[in-house]
Amino acid sequence: MANTLRLYLTCIRNTLEAAMCLQNFPCQEVERHNKPEVELKTSPELLLNPVLICRNEAEKCLIETSINSIRISMKVKQADELENILAKKFLRFLSMRAEAFQVLRRKPVQGYDISFLITNYHCEDMHKNKLIDFIVQFMEDIDKEISELKLSVNTRGRLVATEFLKQFI
Amino acid sequence: MPAVEVHQFAQCITCHAWSPDRTMIAFCPNNTEVHIYKFNVDKWDRIHVLYKHDQLISGIDWSLRSNKIVTASHDRNSYVWNQEGSEWVPTLVILRLNRAALCVQWSPQENKFAVGSGAKTVCVCYYEQENNWWVSKLVRKRHDSSITSVAWHPDNIFLATTSTDGKCRVFSTFIKGVDTKDLGASSSRDSKFGEQIVQLDLSSSWAFGVKWSPSGNTLAYAGHNSTIYFVEDVCSSTFAQNVAYRNLPLRDVGQHPFFVPVHLLFFGFLHRYLDALSIYFDAFAVNVLFVSERIVVGAGFDCSPMIFTKDETGLWSFVKFLEERKTAPSNSKYGSQFSEAFGKLYGQSRYGVNSDTRNSHENLITCIVPLRKEGDNLVRRFSTSGLDGKVVIWELDDMDFP
Repeated sequence: MANTLRLYLTCIRNTLEAAMCLQNFPCQEVERHNKPEVELKTSPELLLNPVLICRNEAEKCLIETSINSIRISMKVKQADELENILAKKFLRFLSMRAEAFQVLRRKPVQGYDISFLITNYHCEDMHKNKLIDFIVQFMEDIDKEISELKLSVNTRGRLVATEFLKQFI
Repeated sequence: MPAVEVHQFAQCITCHAWSPDRTMIAFCPNNTEVHIYKFNVDKWDRIHVLYKHDQLISGIDWSLRSNKIVTASHDRNSYVWNQEGSEWVPTLVILRLNRAALCVQWSPQENKFAVGSGAKTVCVCYYEQENNWWVSKLVRKRHDSSITSVAWHPDNIFLATTSTDGKCRVFSTFIKGVDTKDLGASSSRDSKFGEQIVQLDLSSSWAFGVKWSPSGNTLAYAGHNSTIYFVEDVCSSTFAQNVAYRNLPLRDVGQHPFFVPVHLLFFGFLHRYLDALSIYFDAFAVNVLFVSERIVVGAGFDCSPMIFTKDETGLWSFVKFLEERKTAPSNSKYGSQFSEAFGKLYGQSRYGVNSDTRNSHENLITCIVPLRKEGDNLVRRFSTSGLDGKVVIWELDDMDFP
């Protein structure tokens, strides 16, 4: 793993450890409701300052915290058009299966590629450090996954082209 | 080992309370029920389940002398449970709230109880003999956000509250016909119901877990910015002290705690500074408990109780965790190049995954209850419960008492 990526991920891990201090908190605005405050944003006093961690312009991670929920949005590296389309398709595939991941948000926050929403209920069922591990692992794997996809698309393209051009020999 | 007993009662516990003789425990297993367990010879047996609420129960308190249980719930109601024979009989308390009730506590004389709510109001309830019900009086328009915790002063009149607007307030709850004026010549009895005695604007972030010291001279509460606040002589000449813990940005404040009269403590710039940094801390206390006049225990997201003490000069400081966190050494902390390479060989992503932590608590501690013996103002034992579903009883040994 490149050294800068490790620093980036360590920074995200430490921030998440500090930020993921969630507790049950019923809605102040609507009777008998309990909603993630970070999504509603109705009471400004229940939100903490968001933290933006950037590795470079293309790769960044926004962590928004509230009293009972935390939203983590990330932008993954897209060096060229092919990576762009691969990332879009792949993350869309994941977002459509958000229930399977529990903490994944169905739609990313504007300006980001994928978002996670962790509420106090997730923290009750799951270990905090496992959740953080999952997020960090995900961020680490996503780059790998996309470069692998890119590689296989290129290989396949080359093979197809070779096969196609064979008929002209 | 300070943790004497560890009991796994449920998946998750929101709050708990002990019976007056400490043989029974009532807790809410993160749902709409209250379970009461009794200790029988060598194991805990469930003897009662109280169903009445229809949303999560957020607070339970068991009165010491009258043996009544009061519960508060997110369904906006509160019930007082009275034991009649082998049954617990509920009495609905009309709180007149339109949002969730968040915390509840019996007053020291047990003729009143206070409920903090998400409606930004505090209810003080008292029993009306002629109508045979509990009447609720509201303190309105004083709080700007939800009330996270309430605490009664030993004089049965003053009530301290903390709320998510970061402030700690003290109110008078003198109710005519319930409280008598002749008890002592204390000034607390001259004030009207709902009168705000003091407002402490020390924390820049949410405030939690307010507690009075046994004598009522000191008030302690925790802020979400990893700071614990101690306020001496709240009602006369107020002196405040902040203790920021952990070796992170605001350590200076912790090393040189300052004494400032509370009316001068409105440092806008300091607050903004704190606000910007607040989430970089990784240890938050949400609950505090006075063991004696000079020892405070705090517990919260660190999953281990922390001890704070006051020295002869009146300075509060952090002493230790009751249970040190045992974590597996993490790859990210490897120092030498060799070990870094080693870390690279063995799965790059495995930073210290503390799957093998053997701490008593593994998740947020939400509730601390003192196990005080009759007539003893020193609490040697206390119990904590948390989101991991455990109730842990801790005992402080003599070394913990300075």
